[in-house]
Amino acid sequence: MTLLDITELKTYYRADDGWVRATDDVSLSIDRGETVGLVGESGSGKTTLAKSIIRLLPDNAEVVDGSIDFDGTEVTELSNRELRKQIRWSEISMIPQNAMNGFDPVYTVGEQIVEVITYHEDTSKAEARERARTLFDDLGVDPDRVDDYPHQFSGGMAQRAMIALALALSPSLVLADEPTTALDVVIQDRILETIKELQEELNSAMIMITHDMSVVSETCDRIAVVYGGRIVEIADAETIIMNPRHPYTLGLRNAFPDISDDDQELISIPGTPPDLVDPDDGCRFAPRCPFAEEECWEVTPEPESYGDGHAVECHRADEIEHLQEEAGKKETWVEQDLGRSEEIEPSPPEEVELDD
Amino acid sequence: MGLRAYVARRILQLIVTFWAFFTLLFVLFRMMPGDPTSMFIMDGMTPEQREQRIAELGLDQPLYVQYVEYARQLLTGDFGQSFIYRDPVIDIIVVRFMNTIVLMGTALVIAYLIGITFGAIMGWWRDSRFERGGIVVTLIARSSPEFWVGIVLLSVFAFWLGWFPSSGMRTTGGELGGGFVARYGSADFLRHLFLPALTGAIVYLATPTLLMRSTMLDVLNADFIEIKKAEGLPERTVLYKHAARNSILPIVTVMAIATGAAMGGSVVIETVFNWPGMGREMVNAVNNNDYPLAMAAFFLMGSVVIIMNFIADLTYVYLDPRVEYE
Ligand code: SF4
Repeated sequence: MTLLDITELKTYYRADDGWVRATDDVSLSIDRGETVGLVGESGSGKTTLAKSIIRLLPDNAEVVDGSIDFDGTEVTELSNRELRKQIRWSEISMIPQNAMNGFDPVYTVGEQIVEVITYHEDTSKAEARERARTLFDDLGVDPDRVDDYPHQFSGGMAQRAMIALALALSPSLVLADEPTTALDVVIQDRILETIKELQEELNSAMIMITHDMSVVSETCDRIAVVYGGRIVEIADAETIIMNPRHPYTLGLRNAFPDISDDDQELISIPGTPPDLVDPDDGCRFAPRCPFAEEECWEVTPEPESYGDGHAVECHRADEIEHLQEEAGKKETWVEQDLGRSEEIEPSPPEEVELDD
Repeated sequence: MGLRAYVARRILQLIVTFWAFFTLLFVLFRMMPGDPTSMFIMDGMTPEQREQRIAELGLDQPLYVQYVEYARQLLTGDFGQSFIYRDPVIDIIVVRFMNTIVLMGTALVIAYLIGITFGAIMGWWRDSRFERGGIVVTLIARSSPEFWVGIVLLSVFAFWLGWFPSSGMRTTGGELGGGFVARYGSADFLRHLFLPALTGAIVYLATPTLLMRSTMLDVLNADFIEIKKAEGLPERTVLYKHAARNSILPIVTVMAIATGAAMGGSVVIETVFNWPGMGREMVNAVNNNDYPLAMAAFFLMGSVVIIMNFIADLTYVYLDPRVEYE
């Protein structure tokens, strides 16, 4: 059953020289209880996409077009008050990248969990506190620590407390923005497991935002690869990991260690994310793509379906065997003159602060 | 280290600072230009009278005896006799000091209440017309000279509109009540207090406003503010309970310092409004070589600064759980 249905969403940032198309024509739908990964480099627009869903965008950002249907409610049309009462935290909560900074330092963690519970629900403080303690217990944190201040927690502990906060109202959707990048690997794994367990228990859906392929491969049902403000490839997790068709996905896969392959060589994608201020037609990955052809520079690729919800935006997605084979070689990705033959490269992109 | 141990240590520190301060004061006053005895000797005294006076003041004793005597006197609140008023210093100074506390205290409370609220809203509505206008108003207030603000207020509210009296603390001929409340709580007194307190408030307003605004801008960038918004809490809660609450921390220290300084009174405000406070009294005392009075004034003011810093430290610990009691 569909919980969230995003259609042709365009979230732009105003810049001095035009619109920064941080999310450009994105469609994505998520079922109840499902976990979807949004993978991409910083500046790809993945965080903007997530924040559009609870309208937590900076002042210079605007949803210019498209719709966000959350469980039958059009989020883009809600008043601020309706948004606060009906959507925020009670239905959609979030886990920030650095949990330590996600808590107000001058109140105890317990006070902050109680604050949000009692604001949204007709619950007494004592009951809310009891719930916070139970959540702590479920997450493997000593319940007595609800009375501690955020700075008294270790990184992993703070992250668990943040998960407790995020799940306090049993939301239908949790937006997790790089929830474990600040932690070391062992703790990372354990926390991801805990998130999964609780999420399944509550039947909450989750959007996991990350630049790390290995995180999504372990936790997500489906993965959407985001590049230049667009979802360039989406499929179930296994397909994205084992059988991707988009050159960018292939490149991303190279850049992260594969647990099953010991002597795999890590290869990174040369170049930087594209300038999203009023981009020209053509594939946005073309300047960095080792497989770019004439057509790629002129025609923006449309999503092409490859069955089972697998969609790819690439002109050469049909040549999957060739692409996969070449993409595994290091020579393919060395920085080369990838610009169009007859034209000089456009001036380097202006630095625009995206909210990722 | 627990809170109690921290407070105990801080009290010990307070005592040591206090001792250092009053020893310094002793040394300073004995290093005053000229022979210390000359200040106490009236012209036209015979040498015998002179000797007698010096002995009376204990100035023929060795320095350490003088020091012990000095400590004993200060601790018992005995500051000696004023040369000018011929009254015990303590009687003169306590009244002046209370007058100043009431005036400057009122000014500071108004300035900090308005400044903190105003600054918080300015930071919250960043880049709005409110913020820009607020900065301009604040900067004007900050760069206006004290006497000018006072004179403008006087001209408008006292001379032109006639709403408030132009000088002094009470209407001449009015009953002077005995108790503190009768003295400082009467309607007549409050009417006299209004203009000088407002002048002080305007002068003090800029610091808390600008500081609050800039700290707010920092705090609003913090991740937790975004989380509080995502939690669906009303804007008011996020603004006051979280953003402003965090931004107020640096203000505490500044406020303590400002209060300490303000207790010296403002010579300018006291002169413009003819307010019998510490500032003018101290200038008079120094000009007239009224050694005991000046000494007592310095002692009181220094003590207030030390105590205010102590209070600020304790308040800070109370307000910010992150403070380590190292
Ligand atoms: S469309 Fe062309 S440039 Fe873009 S990813 Fe595919 S092959 Fe590369």
